[in-house]
Amino acid sequence: MRVAIAEDSVLLREGLARLLGEAGFDVVGQCGTADDLLLKVRSYTPDVVIVDIRLPPTHSDEGLQAALEIRQKHPSVGVLVLSQYVEVGLALTLLADSAEGVGYLLKDRISDVDDFVAAVRRVADGGSALDPLIVSALISRQRADDPIARLTAREREVLELMAMGSSNQGIADALVITLRAVEKYVSSIFGKLGLPSSGSESRRVLAVLMFLRS
Amino acid sequence: MATPYAAPIAVANARKPPSLPVVWAIAAAGLATAGAALALALASDDVSGIQIALLEWISVPYIAAGLIAWRSRPDSRLGVLMIAGGFTTAVSALAFADYAVPHTFGVVFDILPAVIFVHVYLAFPSGRLRSSFERWLVGAAYFSAIGLQLLKMALGGVGPHNLLEIAPRPDAAQTVESVQLVSISVICLIGIGVLASRRRRAGRPLRRSVALLIDSFALGLLMIAVLFLSGAFFDGFEFATIQRATLLVIGISPVAFLIGLLDARLARSAVGALFVELRADPSPAGLRDALARALRDPSLTLAYWLPEFETWADLEGRPMDLPAPGSGRSTTLIDRDGARMAALLHDPGLDDEPELLAAVGAAAGIALENGRLQAEQKAHLEEIKGSRARVIEAGQKERQRLERNLHDGAQQRLVALSLELSMLKRQLADDAPASERLEHARGEIAASLEELRAVARGLHPAVLSGHGLEVALQSIVAHSPAPVQLSVELEQRLPEQIEVAAYYVVSESLANIGKHAQATSVQIAVSRAGELVVVEVVDDGVGGADSEGGSGLRGLADRVEAHGGRLRVWSPPGGGTRVRAEMPCE
Repeated sequence: MRVAIAEDSVLLREGLARLLGEAGFDVVGQCGTADDLLLKVRSYTPDVVIVDIRLPPTHSDEGLQAALEIRQKHPSVGVLVLSQYVEVGLALTLLADSAEGVGYLLKDRISDVDDFVAAVRRVADGGSALDPLIVSALISRQRADDPIARLTAREREVLELMAMGSSNQGIADALVITLRAVEKYVSSIFGKLGLPSSGSESRRVLAVLMFLRS
Repeated sequence: MATPYAAPIAVANARKPPSLPVVWAIAAAGLATAGAALALALASDDVSGIQIALLEWISVPYIAAGLIAWRSRPDSRLGVLMIAGGFTTAVSALAFADYAVPHTFGVVFDILPAVIFVHVYLAFPSGRLRSSFERWLVGAAYFSAIGLQLLKMALGGVGPHNLLEIAPRPDAAQTVESVQLVSISVICLIGIGVLASRRRRAGRPLRRSVALLIDSFALGLLMIAVLFLSGAFFDGFEFATIQRATLLVIGISPVAFLIGLLDARLARSAVGALFVELRADPSPAGLRDALARALRDPSLTLAYWLPEFETWADLEGRPMDLPAPGSGRSTTLIDRDGARMAALLHDPGLDDEPELLAAVGAAAGIALENGRLQAEQKAHLEEIKGSRARVIEAGQKERQRLERNLHDGAQQRLVALSLELSMLKRQLADDAPASERLEHARGEIAASLEELRAVARGLHPAVLSGHGLEVALQSIVAHSPAPVQLSVELEQRLPEQIEVAAYYVVSESLANIGKHAQATSVQIAVSRAGELVVVEVVDDGVGGADSEGGSGLRGLADRVEAHGGRLRVWSPPGGGTRVRAEMPCE
C-alpha cells in the first residue's frame, strides 16, 4: 500500500514514516506543505494520504483545503486528516458529502500503533475512520426527542463503533461477539433510529453521521 | 445681549459710530443744501419742477440712508459714500441756478453723483472695493466725472454763466463730453458684469431684501449707462424722459437699503426669541436647528473646538475641518473669555450681517459651551473605546500566539515522544516489565496532552481563525447542554476580532445555560442586518440571568462594546433568556 505524508513537524513526520514503513506501507512521499502534497498525489497516486490539518504558510486551513481538494480531484485516494483538537465542525465539513475513504483522527492516536495502522488501511480501502472523541460528542449531543435514548447500552456501543468506521467484523472483534450478533444489533439500531439499513459499510457510516449531525 | 453669559465675539470692531451731534449736523447740512438748491432752481425760469423733485428724491434718501448706515455699521464706509452721493446730487442741482457762481459750482458736480453711485453699488456691503480691477474701474470713472468735466468746462462746452471757461472750442468740448459719457457708460456696463459674476460665485443672497437691493444696483448701473449713451448720441425729448427714469431708479436704492436694514433688525429680533428658547433649554441637541432658524440658513453647521485634541469636532466628538476660504462656505468664530469655543459654518450670504451672527453667537453662548463639553466628552469616550478595543485585541493576539506556540511546540513533541515510546515498546515486546513501564509513561503523556489541549483550546479556538465562525460554532454546539438549533447566515467571513467576539458570545451563553438555565432547547442565530452583525442566543430555561452581576456577561459586554457594539440580555424569571449582541461591521 502506497502512502504520502504531509506534516510540518519533521520529528513527527519521520516517526510516522518509520511506523508505516515497519507496518508494511510503501511511503512514496513525505512533505511539509499542502502544495507539495498535491504535487506528490499527482505524481505517485498513493492509496492514502495522511495530512496535518494545520500546515504552512498560515497554519490555518491549508491542510483541510488540500484534503478537500484531493477528495474532489482524486476520489480513489483515501484521505486521513490529523488534528491536535477534536473539532466536530471540521469532521462534519470533511465528511459533508461522503464517508468513503476519509478519516479524521486526533494526533494522539498515532501512538496506538495497531489501531492507527488499521485506521490507515481502512481509509486506503475506501472505508472511514472517525475519532472516538468526535463520535462520542456527536452521540451524546443533546437532541429534542432523542431516539438514541431508546438504544440499549450494547446497541450504543455498536453505534459508536459503526460511526468510527469499523466494519461488522471489526465490531465483532472489538466487542468479542459473533458476526451474526453484530448484524442483529445493527438492524435493530437502524430500526430504532428510523434509518434505511441497506448499503455498503461506508454508506452506513454516512447514514449514521447524517443522523448524528442533524 | 446683556446677559451674564454674553460672550465676547470675534468681530473686528475698529471704528466707532459717529456721535449723535455729528449725525444731526450732517442731516441739517443735507437739508440746507437740498433746500438751497431747490430755492435757487425755482428762482430760475427754464427748469421743470419734476426735474428738481427727482433730484431731491435722490439726495434726501441717500443722506438719510447713509447716516443710518454709518451709525449702524461704522466699520463700513458705505454710509459715508452714500452721504457723499446725496450731497453731490443736491449740489449738482445748483447747475440750474441763474447766478454764475452757484451755476458753475453745480456744473462741476454735474456728472459726479452718477459715479459715486457706481462706487456705492460696487462697494456694497463693506464700503470697500474688492479687487484692484474694481478700484481701477471706479478710479477711471472719477477721472471722467471730474477731470474731463473740468476740461470740458475750460473749453466752454456747457453754455453761459460758466466761470471756468478759458478757451471756447465748442467742437472740442463736444468731443470731450462724448468721451466722458461713453467711458462712464462702459464702466457701468462692466459694473453690471462684476455684480453678475459675484452672484454666480457666491449664489443668491440669503435674504430677499439684499437680493432686491443688488438688483436695484444693477438696474441703476444700466440706467446710467443708457442715459449717458443717449446723452452722447441723441438729444431731445427722449433724453429728458430717460433722465427722469434714471433719477427715479437711482432713488430706489436707498429705499431698498433702508428696507434691508429694517429686515435685518427684524432678523435680530429673532435673536431675542432664540435667547428665550435657549435659556429654557440650553442642551446642545436642538441648538443647531434653533440657530439655523434664527439665521434663516438651513445649511448651518456647528463646529466645536476641542483644545485637548487640538481639533474642531462635531457634537459627536468626531474631528472635522473648517471650510477653506473660497470653498463656498463661510466661518464665524465664536470665542468665550478669549478662548476659542465654537464656529458657525454658514452660507456666505450671512457675511453681510456680522451683527446678526455676533448676536446669535452671544445668545447661544451657554448652549454652545454645553455643546463643546459634550463634544469633548464624546471624543474622550471614543478614545477610551478605541484603547479598550486595542487592549482586548492585543490580549487576543497574545493568546493566539501562545496557542500557536503550544500547538507547534509542546503538543507536537509530546505526540512524537509518545510515538517513540510506542515503537520502543514493540522492540521490547519480550520484556514484560519494561513494556508495562513504557505503557504507563505513554498513559502519562496522553494525560498531559489532554490537559495541554484543554489549555490551548481555552487560550484561543484555532478552528475559528482557520475555518470560520460556522465550523467553530458547530464544534461548541456539539457539547451544548441542551438541544441546539444553529443558524449561521453569513455570505463571507467576518473580520477576525468580530468572529472572536461572536464566538465568545455563543460559548459563554451556552456555558451559562449549562450552569443555570435548565433549558430544553436553545436557538442560536448569527446573521447580518445591514451594517450590523447580530448574534442571538435564546433558551427556554428559567431566566433571571443577571447581566450586571455575572462577570461572564459583563466580560462579554466589554468585548462587544469594545468593537462599538452592544450586548443586551432579556431574562425575565421563568421566561427564558435572550442574549443579543450587535456589532457594526462594514
